[in-house]
Amino acid sequence: MEKIKVTATMKSPFIKVGYMTLDALLAALKFDELQNVEQAHQSIPIKQTKGLFHASAAFFEPIDKGKEVFIAALHPEHTIDPHLILKNKKGQIHRKFDNSFTNVLNTYPKITASHITWYAEGDADEIKKLLYPVHFIGKRRASGFGEVEEWNIEANELDGILGNFGEPLRPIPIDLYNGDKSYPVTDAAWRPAYWNILNRTACYAPSE
Amino acid sequence: MNVLDLFNQSMGCHLVEQTANVVDNAQRALSSGHTMLKGGNPQRISSGWAIVQPQRTTMQFKLAAKGIIYSEITRYEAFQELLHNWNGTPSILIVFDKKPVPVTNLFITYDVRCVRVCSPKGVETFDYTQEPQRDGCMTHKVLFKQRGKYV
Repeated sequence: MEKIKVTATMKSPFIKVGYMTLDALLAALKFDELQNVEQAHQSIPIKQTKGLFHASAAFFEPIDKGKEVFIAALHPEHTIDPHLILKNKKGQIHRKFDNSFTNVLNTYPKITASHITWYAEGDADEIKKLLYPVHFIGKRRASGFGEVEEWNIEANELDGILGNFGEPLRPIPIDLYNGDKSYPVTDAAWRPAYWNILNRTACYAPSE
Repeated sequence: MNVLDLFNQSMGCHLVEQTANVVDNAQRALSSGHTMLKGGNPQRISSGWAIVQPQRTTMQFKLAAKGIIYSEITRYEAFQELLHNWNGTPSILIVFDKKPVPVTNLFITYDVRCVRVCSPKGVETFDYTQEPQRDGCMTHKVLFKQRGKYV
């Protein structure tokens, strides 16, 4: 396991929700390969301490910050098995829309930056194998956001948990934190799956 | 402490029967109908605010449920009072609207420098000790304007 700095040179603005930690990115890539959540999380090539991955959040210097709005035209018909859909009190499926298309507005935070950087401690060769074929990161990739021009992995002295001044580089539960305690405590997911509300606890974390 | 444990133990338990599924318990409390103090058909909590703290929940929408403190002050007055006199008690600040608040939008506030206001539309995060920025969130701007009354 080596201490590394991972840099993505960006070709297009990206849409970031949450801390976008390196282990989250690798977990998603592993899931694409294995199609099993547990196996994907266990095979992330990054050092762990009591379940905490030594992988930082995404850091960048924004050139511009804005919002990107997408209008999705949704067809009102259910395309999945009706037995899987929540029923109303009468035991029927909720049918909210008429038979025309319905427009749904989705707003995403858009960031323009030349580079995104992560710090981590892990298997550099395995991380290279996973990241180098990746051309898009973040949300709305199919719409052209988060295009990566180049990946670069180099040796570094940070372990992906604490910065040079003892500041948190990622969400760290308070009982696992040995850094500067003057930073505010926040409610955050500290391990993958980051979308899972059950993985949230009181953490020291960098500002989102 | 997980946000669902705090929510269910302090608020959800007064509204719905608790099962082993903590996500479902919170979801049911936020999206199902509850008996109102004024009577009539059960209604979903569709307006007002709530502040959920360990063993103590204060809310505006008047339900028949006991164990909850009901208050008539506005959301901004309630949040201002809590944050101005902040004592470090973990708190969930919720704003209700017609759409139910998704459980994924529930966050605990542990520090006034990272306040989370949870609503159906999303989560507002701000530093109460700082002046809001031009593109800052509405709650922060309103609370900052009101602060003169509390200083």
